[in-house]
Amino acid sequence: MHLSNETMNVSFVKKVEALSGSSVRRCFQCGKCSAGCPMSSFMEHPPNRVVRLLQLGQGQRVLAGRSIWYCASCETCTTRCPNKVDLAAIMDALRKLSWDADGPSKESYVQLANRLFIENIRTYGRQYELRLGAAFNMKSGQFLKDLMLGPKLLSKGKLKMFHSKNRNISEIEGIFKRIEEMRKKGEAL
Amino acid sequence: MTPIRKGLNYSFYPGCSLHASGKEYDISTRALFKALNIGLKEVPDWFCCGATPAHNVDELLSLSLCAKNLSLADAVEGDLAVACAACFSRLKVTQHHLKDDAVKRKQVETAIDGPAAIGKPVKHILEILAREFGLAKLEEQVKKPLMGLKVACYYGCLLTRPPEVPELDDCEDPSIMEDLLRAMGAEPVKWSHRMECCGANFTLSRPAVVLKLSRAILESAQRAGADCIMVACPLCHGNLDIRQKDIQEKQSSQDATLLGNIFGSELQHGGTAQPRDLPIFYVTQLAALAMGVSSDKLGFESVIIDPKPLLKEKQLL
Repeated sequence: MHLSNETMNVSFVKKVEALSGSSVRRCFQCGKCSAGCPMSSFMEHPPNRVVRLLQLGQGQRVLAGRSIWYCASCETCTTRCPNKVDLAAIMDALRKLSWDADGPSKESYVQLANRLFIENIRTYGRQYELRLGAAFNMKSGQFLKDLMLGPKLLSKGKLKMFHSKNRNISEIEGIFKRIEEMRKKGEAL
Repeated sequence: MTPIRKGLNYSFYPGCSLHASGKEYDISTRALFKALNIGLKEVPDWFCCGATPAHNVDELLSLSLCAKNLSLADAVEGDLAVACAACFSRLKVTQHHLKDDAVKRKQVETAIDGPAAIGKPVKHILEILAREFGLAKLEEQVKKPLMGLKVACYYGCLLTRPPEVPELDDCEDPSIMEDLLRAMGAEPVKWSHRMECCGANFTLSRPAVVLKLSRAILESAQRAGADCIMVACPLCHGNLDIRQKDIQEKQSSQDATLLGNIFGSELQHGGTAQPRDLPIFYVTQLAALAMGVSSDKLGFESVIIDPKPLLKEKQLL
């Protein structure tokens, strides 16, 4: 890796630090985060390397990989960091930046699940689990995924066939709209 | 029944799972609180807390949804009782973040179009049972001690991490679930995976992740000689209970292949230790059972791994 002003994106790191409220620079690469990470075997860059890449201004490499979408938000890294680097918050910030940029990602299923989950909140106020599962299968093209699970859970009463919207649903729409307006005006990240 | 302690009343935020896939947690929480004479009043018209997907990609949305819910809860009497570990974590995170951050608070207040009335203490039902009702009182109330039941207490991630948010127990070596179990007369086992992640919301997007992580948890509990696992989170329950048969199938076929490779194909279908069914209980189901609540009122019929054979064997039914 050749490091120069041209190959290092320092403003990206500053954005991550602003969004996460955590320093990236404080990390001295002890590796405790990766040692305790239950998901590191699924990632091409384990958590400590994600931070190292950020320190070196290589945010785009992180966003292009799947690591951020395989973080389970279990908070083990944040809990154990000796330098109080809030890695779980940094992962949230990276996902948001990738989400906003609609940027390159190898991990579209997790993004799709997140999007459908949030859409469910906006439409119904609460999670409608059956719709969430069905919409995920349709949109991800995995029509047979967990095919036998749905009827089983329905028969156990664990999934509801029908779901009524919150009667105060307009308040949720208001929250979504006002956040969008704030962002348009540049009043919020 | 006469009130045991006057004034123990809570507002209640059940969260989405408790109204659907985790309904037995809702049923058993209400049954237990009724048996202990603790008041529980559901916050009307609550919304989804946003859970992991919201904070994953949009922190402001996550904070705003939780602040809205806390404001709704503010109108109901009593500290806010929460049963789901994920909702509990999100609500506490919101209080933690907005306490000292005037900028974020202002943004959230703009989003919810009103003051953020978020000061109400948020309590997980574990701490309500162990600390506010109290272990000694709980022990006095036990009608059917859970004698001989060996239980692996599973904490998962969000009940204790990061420690300054939930403020529930030690973040590496907690004991609140084991303390509760002992008060009910059961025997907590020592095991390795009580703080490990089950794979949480990857159950929708990447089930293979859940199969791997939850398998490690189930195997660890089995190795420690547990009869069952006790949880305090509907997402952990979903992964360990609903996915358990899938995990067992995968486990058996992998073990058979491995043995076949070592000993030849004739051993493939014989001699391997079959994975045992491990019933997954909510803390409230076991506690209510110990308090003498009838087992048909605890939602045992809606779980996948039937706990009744185990409870019969231990003469608890």
